[in-house]
Amino acid sequence: MLSASDLVYCVGRRRILDRVSAAFDPGRLHLIIGPNGAGKSTLVKLLARLIVPDMGDVRYGGADAQTLTHRDLARRRAVLSQAVEVAFPIPARELVMMGRYPHFTGRPSAADEEICDEVMDFFDVTGLAGQSYATLSGGEKQRVNFARVLAQVWRPIVEGCRYLFLDEPLTFLDIGHQLGFMRKVRSFADQPDMIVVGVVHDLNLAARFADRLVLIDDGRVAAAGAPEDVLTPEHLQKAFHVQPIAVRNPADGGLHLIFE
Amino acid sequence: MKLKTLALILVAAAALPSCSRFGKTKGETAGADRMVVISQQYNELIYALGAQAHLVGVDYSSTYPPEIKSVTTVGYHRALSAEGILSLKPTIVIHDNNIGPEQVVRQLADLNIPMKTFDAKDDSIDGLKALLREMGAYFHKEQRAEELCATLDRDLAAALERAKTYTTRPRVAVIHYGRASNVYLVVAGKGGSGDGGAASQMIEWAGGEQAIQGKGMERLASPEIIAQANPDIILMTEFGFDRLGSLEQAKTLPGVAQTNAARNGRIYRVSEHQLTYFNPETGKSVEQLADLIHQSQP
Amino acid sequence: MSAPRDRARALILLGLFAAMVLVAVASIRFGAIDFSLRQMFSATLALVTGREPATLDGRIFAELRLPRAVMCLLVGACLGVGGTLMQALFRNPIVEPGLVGTSSGAALGSALYFVLGSVLKFNAGPWALPVAACIGGIAATYVVFALSRAGETGRSSIVMLLLTGLAINALCLSGVGFLSYIARDPQARSIIFWNLGTMSGADWKSVTIVGVATLGGVALSLRYAKPLNALMLGEEEALYLGVNVARLKWAVLTINVAMVAVATAFTGVIGFVGLIVPHILRIIHGADNRYLIAGSALLGATLLSVADLIARVSLRPAELPIGIVTSIVGVPVFLWLLRKRQYVF
Repeated sequence: MLSASDLVYCVGRRRILDRVSAAFDPGRLHLIIGPNGAGKSTLVKLLARLIVPDMGDVRYGGADAQTLTHRDLARRRAVLSQAVEVAFPIPARELVMMGRYPHFTGRPSAADEEICDEVMDFFDVTGLAGQSYATLSGGEKQRVNFARVLAQVWRPIVEGCRYLFLDEPLTFLDIGHQLGFMRKVRSFADQPDMIVVGVVHDLNLAARFADRLVLIDDGRVAAAGAPEDVLTPEHLQKAFHVQPIAVRNPADGGLHLIFE
Repeated sequence: MKLKTLALILVAAAALPSCSRFGKTKGETAGADRMVVISQQYNELIYALGAQAHLVGVDYSSTYPPEIKSVTTVGYHRALSAEGILSLKPTIVIHDNNIGPEQVVRQLADLNIPMKTFDAKDDSIDGLKALLREMGAYFHKEQRAEELCATLDRDLAAALERAKTYTTRPRVAVIHYGRASNVYLVVAGKGGSGDGGAASQMIEWAGGEQAIQGKGMERLASPEIIAQANPDIILMTEFGFDRLGSLEQAKTLPGVAQTNAARNGRIYRVSEHQLTYFNPETGKSVEQLADLIHQSQP
Repeated sequence: MSAPRDRARALILLGLFAAMVLVAVASIRFGAIDFSLRQMFSATLALVTGREPATLDGRIFAELRLPRAVMCLLVGACLGVGGTLMQALFRNPIVEPGLVGTSSGAALGSALYFVLGSVLKFNAGPWALPVAACIGGIAATYVVFALSRAGETGRSSIVMLLLTGLAINALCLSGVGFLSYIARDPQARSIIFWNLGTMSGADWKSVTIVGVATLGGVALSLRYAKPLNALMLGEEEALYLGVNVARLKWAVLTINVAMVAVATAFTGVIGFVGLIVPHILRIIHGADNRYLIAGSALLGATLLSVADLIARVSLRPAELPIGIVTSIVGVPVFLWLLRKRQYVF
């Protein structure tokens, strides 16, 4: 369980987040949506403990996140942020291995090597292992970073749940890879000790894959719950100023929005 | 001088081992005495005294007289290395307390290498004569030393007499030009040879007057200072003059162009060596200088 | 890490080690005086058993040549590793180890000693100059560090560090320029030559001091190799990977300053080694800092020894300032490697 209570975060005099509370359960995929500048990225950074809130707290499985060291956190929590720019030549596989850094001192173990193999296979980047990261395309870099981030929390740990945060992971991916990624994340989120929280822009992807949605507008939680409950015409009009037509996908009955 | 050093370094760096002053074979004399002398002035006097037989190493700045270039050089006198000096197997190292880096002196002392500095200093004519006599005694060339002193006295007396016959007292400036990207280095100041006093003194003896005053041997002068001092005569050392090529070129330099000297075409080429410190030729130099600055305009 | 890559890396490091040994032997053998193997052996034997070598040549070997050769290895290693650390910390490939004020502060310290030392008739013996330079280097770096902390933490602080370092560098160097201007000739020349570097002052005492600083620094650096790798991804990502970025920055900077300030204090400013050694290693085998730190110690030692050998032999018995030679040796090697492999930044 990951919970945020009354989070307040200011930059200078501007209040980015104003008393935001949310709860995230294991075994579910949670997606945060909202208009630009609403505070989505900031929320994820607070949840991931990159930054500390001015008021309120974040709890990982009941324990205040403040009490955990950097290293402890890194063993159970992984964050995929915007694409990483690396200025030095490094083979893709070594980049992926960095995801295992919190788990070993000195040299990686056989288990670490195994995990790297598995995770690279999961994201179809095994063939790129020896290539220099800087020479990859934007999409390939993204997938290598997915592999690295997931490698961090690939296997269950004794201490409790694992946490995965995805801050706008779908940039640079074509539609095929977007869907492929969301499916993979979905299957990953199904594990009973896994809490996954992501930020996406595409409302249809959100509708299709999320178990829970959190709609952030103007620094506040405008709505939270199942996609049907969040993606209502009122909420969408107020937050995005759009009036899509909602239809049901004949194949699986899922919600689909058509925008004009 | 400081910027000149940089030029020197670059020249030294660019000089290939085939440059004739480096990498000479070491065993010239079979005799026991092998001297390494690191001082421009000492080396000149040694040659004047005829005591150069046992000279096996000199510093890079010792370039006078021209024969000295056949002797191996141990490098620039502020950038020496103990090993380099010792590779020449000297029995004595003679220097004028102007060598560096500091640790080299220590290293030589630690290895019990005999070192010597002469007491007398070449900061005046009397100082020069004392130095000649001291060096003459050391190298057993006392007679030659006396001859040089006598000649010096005689030449200088003659020059001073000559100078008295001139009625004018022109204002003279000595300029090094072109050592460091078109900046002027002006020889100013009074006092001992170390700070430009030799040139000033010689100008006085030659019946002239220093146009640019100041401390320190060489001052970076802005063109305005030269223009303001407005010397009647400019003596330009050979490096800069040759670089410019001709009197006409020299007249056009900023700061110089506005002076009386330029207007009247009285910019003369002089040898730097003559003016830097007192040497046995100083008497003759003063006489030449006097003629130069008092000659009627071309 | 895959096995073939591991093997390749081990081979490269072994090769570098062999090169270093070879060059070290050459540098103690050749110079203004070329020693025969017998001379070298008997002098070393005397040294090790605590006696004074019998001949002058023997003493030259034991007291001048040998410590100088060791000093070259140490200072080369120190500069190489310093360059790796700084380039990793700033994630910027054109960074030198003396960047954040260390070199220029040391230059200012030494210039002050040269100029004021004679004015105040101050002569504290052979340690005055190294101490002045070392203090200068450390003080300038401290000023840089203190000034750049004024901003908020996060991405900006590395950039702040860099910019503050550049500013302080400019300030120190103009101070050196001014001191050169007002100095008398001998002092001014001392300043110039100090800034071109020289290994000629090496003796066993200074070698011990530099040795402790360098070996300690290199050993500590290896411990920070992994966090520095993580830092390659950016400060934010490194935090997510569990790296305490603030502490890492402080530790790495301190190690670097300690090593470089001490080395520079005894040899003057030697540029270019710290800049190109990590580059050459990266071109050969990538940017893993564990490999880079070990490799740059070995390659730096080798490169500086080669440079010193050239400085001592090419114009013998005169010597070139070593700073000139490091550029002449390093640039062609770097350009050649750059052309041979595709090197992407």
